[in-house]
Amino acid sequence: MPDRCDVCIVGTGFGGSISAFRLAELYRAAGVDPGAIVVLERGRRYKHTEFRQSMHIDHLSNVYNLIQGQGAQVVVANAVGGGSNLYLAASLRAPSEIFNRRDRRPGDGPDRRMWPDVIARTSLDPYYARVEAGLRISRPTWAQVSKSGGLWAATLQAAGHTCDRVPLAISPDRCVNAKWCHTGCIFGAKNTLPTNYLGAAERFGVQLRANVQVSQVRQSQARPYRYIVAAERMDNEGDHPSRAPVAGGGFELECKALVLAAGAMGTPPILMRSQSALPSLSSEVGKHLGSNGDHVAAVEYDPKKVRDVLGLPGYADFYKGKPITTMTYDYYAGRSANEFDGTRFTLQEIFLSALTNFLYDHGRGTGEPSFWGLEKKHAIAHWANRIELLAMVEDTNDGQFFAVPPSGGGVRPNPGPVTVGLFNYAFSEQSLRVREAAEAAIRQIVERGRLGRFMKLTETRGAYVAHPLGGCRMATSPDLGVVDDSGSVFGYEGLYCIDSSIVPTSLGVNPSLTIAALSERCADALVGRGASLGLPARPPGFAPGVPDEVIGERVVPALLRDGGSTPSRRGQRRRGRHRRRSQRRS
Amino acid sequence: MIAGGAEHGKLLAECSRRDFVRRASLLGLGLLVAEALEVARLMGAPEPALAQAGGNDATLQAFADTMIPGRRAATTDLGAAIDPSAIAGVDELPGAVEADALALFHHPEIGFDALEPVFLTELESRSLPLGANFLSLDFGHRVQVALAGLDFSNSTRVVWEAAAAVPFTAFCAAAINPNQTAAKASGYRVMGLPGEAPNGYQRDFSYGRRLSRERTTSGSLP
Repeated sequence: MPDRCDVCIVGTGFGGSISAFRLAELYRAAGVDPGAIVVLERGRRYKHTEFRQSMHIDHLSNVYNLIQGQGAQVVVANAVGGGSNLYLAASLRAPSEIFNRRDRRPGDGPDRRMWPDVIARTSLDPYYARVEAGLRISRPTWAQVSKSGGLWAATLQAAGHTCDRVPLAISPDRCVNAKWCHTGCIFGAKNTLPTNYLGAAERFGVQLRANVQVSQVRQSQARPYRYIVAAERMDNEGDHPSRAPVAGGGFELECKALVLAAGAMGTPPILMRSQSALPSLSSEVGKHLGSNGDHVAAVEYDPKKVRDVLGLPGYADFYKGKPITTMTYDYYAGRSANEFDGTRFTLQEIFLSALTNFLYDHGRGTGEPSFWGLEKKHAIAHWANRIELLAMVEDTNDGQFFAVPPSGGGVRPNPGPVTVGLFNYAFSEQSLRVREAAEAAIRQIVERGRLGRFMKLTETRGAYVAHPLGGCRMATSPDLGVVDDSGSVFGYEGLYCIDSSIVPTSLGVNPSLTIAALSERCADALVGRGASLGLPARPPGFAPGVPDEVIGERVVPALLRDGGSTPSRRGQRRRGRHRRRSQRRS
Repeated sequence: MIAGGAEHGKLLAECSRRDFVRRASLLGLGLLVAEALEVARLMGAPEPALAQAGGNDATLQAFADTMIPGRRAATTDLGAAIDPSAIAGVDELPGAVEADALALFHHPEIGFDALEPVFLTELESRSLPLGANFLSLDFGHRVQVALAGLDFSNSTRVVWEAAAAVPFTAFCAAAINPNQTAAKASGYRVMGLPGEAPNGYQRDFSYGRRLSRERTTSGSLP
């Protein structure tokens, strides 16, 4: 006899955490114990103080998982809170045009809107607003824009372009501009899900079970229970974890409603493994994987030109500030060359990590090897004068799983963090063409006035993907997608996919806010259907609120220590001096 | 879908020429090694005499110095000995050898040890026609050997990619150095990266003023 709960949620990323919180609100409002909601997470818990400002192999092996497929390398997170632990917190609403895209891919026909008709920017805006409140999104002032972001803005301005500040899920009070978001924020300054939706859901009483990986799902006949989830405990703790299922650690959980929120690399494999028990699943499961159009490049500036051409007092502080602060929409809106679907892209300044040094060629055009050797060494030594750029292009979602992963999202050859993905990812002509256009645009912008060297992504084949999407895309019918516009799986009442796997196109911007807004919308629908699924009915007057902030233990630098989040007097004096100097300079 | 169209030949060529950096991230390194092992298996048993031609560790250090050249040094960041013949000394700043590339070659989470014999055999088989084992070659000839091994026409290139990824990871990520600071990790020092910043930066992180016109009022497009 399996354990029982009302709702089982698989995954603690944006979809899982938001679903957990909204359902917990419903239970509380209805006077029912939210302990009937169980959230499973394959990774372990981290306190902020357990993250490290380190690229040491042990730390990265713990928090990242890299899935190597055919034609794409996908990076995913592996911890309670999912990708929010490692994301760079850029939080943008997707442009209206995204939701009207017609990609004209095989199987989609010549004129199919890629998103269900009810999903549009206007219909998502209330949910975007809800997420912006929950994640405490704020837009940095120009005084909070990193030098790297400022340099990109000044470069664009000099080339006649506009450049916008990027809204961030980062607390301006707690952030100390250390630029170590990518290995987990030790300061608790990044507004990760454990600091809001997930933390608040646990405070309400939701059960969170870490180190549990779901293998498959089958139907239950014991109404009101509908699904039985097969799971296994993972060995993730200690100094030398195997990161594999624990022998004899399998168990089952029976639930009335099931929310799969394991992401584009996790949810499709669970459903694929469950296909014999869920025979009416759409044949689209595991198809239409996308990369969100990610394409990276870098620029190495000439410090003299930074002063003489841009009028800035030099630049050698790539490592300070926040990892994303500015971007241009000029190749997305307002230009005839970027007017149609598949021709648009945005260009965002980004700090990936010191290791990405060797993602780029040396930019020196000497004929020497482009990614190793003496010229490359010289390029590395000029790293502090560099910025990295992320183009997010309107490509198409053409990846698909070609086999069913036996567990997790792929085949794990050893205890390390690397997984062999059983999917392929090939560039469509559109995907290539729009990437070429993005590279040409960057080169044109930075080489005007000979500001610096354009350094293209080199020695790569296929896509380097930090934003995997799709695999269970939403559509209006099961012949085109796996779920409807509310995340409900076609043909299976009470079974939901609420995560990045349901996103049918690349988004033109960093995807987390859109995944979260879609999750809010799906969770809203689930809450509304609660009574029909055997969950509490939505009480009259029930309205969604804002999750509490749950910061927990964190590193507090000396400057901030004397008054909580208020800088010390000494710090204020320092900041004041700095502000006055900045004002004089400007 | 195009797998090799002429219209986008340039980008496609770049995209299809090689796998190195895509997988040469720290996390990809283990897989790169795993893939290379399959190629190594197909290459057959290594030739012991070739694999031992120059002393394995010294040869691996010499290869690391070819990927990210450095100044001559006697010991690494972590205090390990550097073979006096390993570093060609073509640069004034520390290189991958000083950043403990050899220790990363032997790190159990990388798994390169299983690949080492076949890599060294291939390395030496390409070195000896130039007149000496790899360790004894001058820097120019070492580059020549590495160019041939990492050429896209080389069917065993993936083995070389795995070997090349190691010094990059050691140097750029200080991957086995517990001290992630410029003072202790020479790669960070060369890059101008202080490393850990437990107190963050209260100054000089921003130009502190508006630097561009903006298209939107909220940061997002309508």
